[in-house]
Amino acid sequence: MKSDNLKNKKDKRQRMISRNGWVLGAWLLLITLLVWYSTLIPVFGRFQLTSISKNSLPLVFLAIGQAIIVICGGIDLSIGALLLLGNVIAARFMEDQALGVVFLVSVLMIIGIGILNGLTGLVISVSGIPDIVVTLATSYIWSGVALLILPSPGGGTAPEVRWLFSGSESGIGGNPIIPILMMIIPTTLVFLYMNRSKVGLSIYAIGSDEIASRLAGLNVRWAKIISYAIGGAMAALAGLATVALTGTGDPRFSVGANATLNSVAAVVLGGVALTGGTGSVLGMVPAAVILIMLNPILSAMGINPNSAQIIQGVLIAAVMMVGGLVAVRREKAS
Amino acid sequence: MTNSNNPNQPATSESEINEGLLVRLQQIAAENPVILLIGVLFLLVIATGIVQPNYLSVSGIRNTLLQAAPLGILAGAQTVLMLTGGIDLSITMIATGAAYVAANQSPNGAFIAIVLGILVGVIAGTANGVGVTVFRVNPLIMTLAMSGIMLGLFTAWTITLLQGSTVVADFIKLVGTGSFYENRIPYSVVVWASLAVILIYLLKRTGWGRLVYAIGNNEGAVRLAGVRVWQVRVTAYMLAGVLGAIAGILLAGRTGVVDLQLASAYLLPSVAAAVIGGTSIFGGVGEYTGTMIGALILSVLNSMLTYLNVGQAIQQIVYGSIVLALAWSYSSLTRKS
Repeated sequence: MKSDNLKNKKDKRQRMISRNGWVLGAWLLLITLLVWYSTLIPVFGRFQLTSISKNSLPLVFLAIGQAIIVICGGIDLSIGALLLLGNVIAARFMEDQALGVVFLVSVLMIIGIGILNGLTGLVISVSGIPDIVVTLATSYIWSGVALLILPSPGGGTAPEVRWLFSGSESGIGGNPIIPILMMIIPTTLVFLYMNRSKVGLSIYAIGSDEIASRLAGLNVRWAKIISYAIGGAMAALAGLATVALTGTGDPRFSVGANATLNSVAAVVLGGVALTGGTGSVLGMVPAAVILIMLNPILSAMGINPNSAQIIQGVLIAAVMMVGGLVAVRREKAS
Repeated sequence: MTNSNNPNQPATSESEINEGLLVRLQQIAAENPVILLIGVLFLLVIATGIVQPNYLSVSGIRNTLLQAAPLGILAGAQTVLMLTGGIDLSITMIATGAAYVAANQSPNGAFIAIVLGILVGVIAGTANGVGVTVFRVNPLIMTLAMSGIMLGLFTAWTITLLQGSTVVADFIKLVGTGSFYENRIPYSVVVWASLAVILIYLLKRTGWGRLVYAIGNNEGAVRLAGVRVWQVRVTAYMLAGVLGAIAGILLAGRTGVVDLQLASAYLLPSVAAAVIGGTSIFGGVGEYTGTMIGALILSVLNSMLTYLNVGQAIQQIVYGSIVLALAWSYSSLTRKS
């Protein structure tokens, strides 16, 4: 009947909004901030767009990795250390090497670190130790390994790699299209995997209700391992992006710890609840860019860098509080 | 050999007797994990003694105790919070901040310096507690964010408010490094021991302590029983903040100067000591006595790694691996029972 059709359409639209509301909101916030930023500085053109988009790349990748792990019901406090590891491996073994070697190193590194974190996921599954403790411990282990590989900041990478992430072979300037593509393509691929493949959907199910999923016959252990493995691979990709941007490797522990905190903030800002089972990696792109944009916006407003750091911390805390409140309300409603 | 008196009883051979003994031992260990931990501690001390024979002396043990005291206090804060199902990743930043304030106020006298330092802990701890209870933020996130905020605040303040003295008052230095009985029992260990007595008393003998365990065990039931859960939680975070501040002041006393990285190396060890000591991160299970032995184990481990002279990278790797191994064996042991 005709009235049924109309009801269906309205229901569908309402459902789409309620399910993706947060992500849409994040995109809206990003656009608002971009517009506002453009009014704050004298020139807002290709250079600014390029620098915003390419500087956001590491956090986008890291946030996607953390999001998958969180959606499956876990958390990874070592994801920053994995970025560190990827960064120093790339910087150490790519310096002054032929393009073929560079390519090989990249691929091997991403797969290798993915497998490493998958092992971490296995340990978490098998041992019964909470993920917080395991990943806290592994963050120290990987940071130590990174320190072994590259005792002090240095190394380098091939100009082609720098071009791949920033559109410029020297790391200065570039064009905005390439970083934006590098943001969109992996995100879309991961999104499709999470929403269409069996493992991806089981990750959502397990994060939502692990016991029910196990009883329904889903392979919980395998899904958790896969989530940690993909998270590790994304962290390695983020490390590669970092070396492409900065041109060097930095093995300091604090860099990894900061990256982990930012990844958790981005995950919450992007609409993935820390309790798991809900959210989408599509929210990671606006979330990461917003977080990275905080610094240039605050400095454009004339606020000195130290106060800017405080404000950044307060904003992140505020975001998480709002996220927490929303999650509580969502729980009460269901 | 069969038991001819009762044919229904299973045959008891020597291997079965040994097996029975092993199972009994396992049961005893699982029910009293502290015994197992003391055993591990003993083994580690012996191992360190093998690496560095001078270790098994008063000065060697004293050095380990000096390091274990602030760690033990920080781990105590983690224990209290983990019992409620929370965690505090900002505790080392609170310690550093308290140390900073104490150092800065040292010209005004040690007493004021200490009081103001502890005030830092109270404020930060309360903020954490409010964030976790009123705003329902995940404790991991709240304390992680608090740590970042404090880092920014203190970085800024080193240039403005807290400019000047980064040197610690003499009294604090005395407590941090001095000892009774001609260099035998460090003062900081005495502070730790007194705090331990208070903490154990609070947890085991007061209504508040019982509520802490109850909330970690089944928060819903506690709420239905009419308890104001948020009050218990906020006071728990406040207590953790105070403990963190005291640890920070002790650390400042030991080194004599403060910098922003003063306590940051203690974060994983503080959580690890509590986990190794048997405190469950999910809440409701654990004792401070276990945590104390966990802190001692980690300190001896640290000494051993230092004596082995392997460099920071390998130290980190070994440390993280051993924490993982200890937590794993602990978890599998308690799961079997």
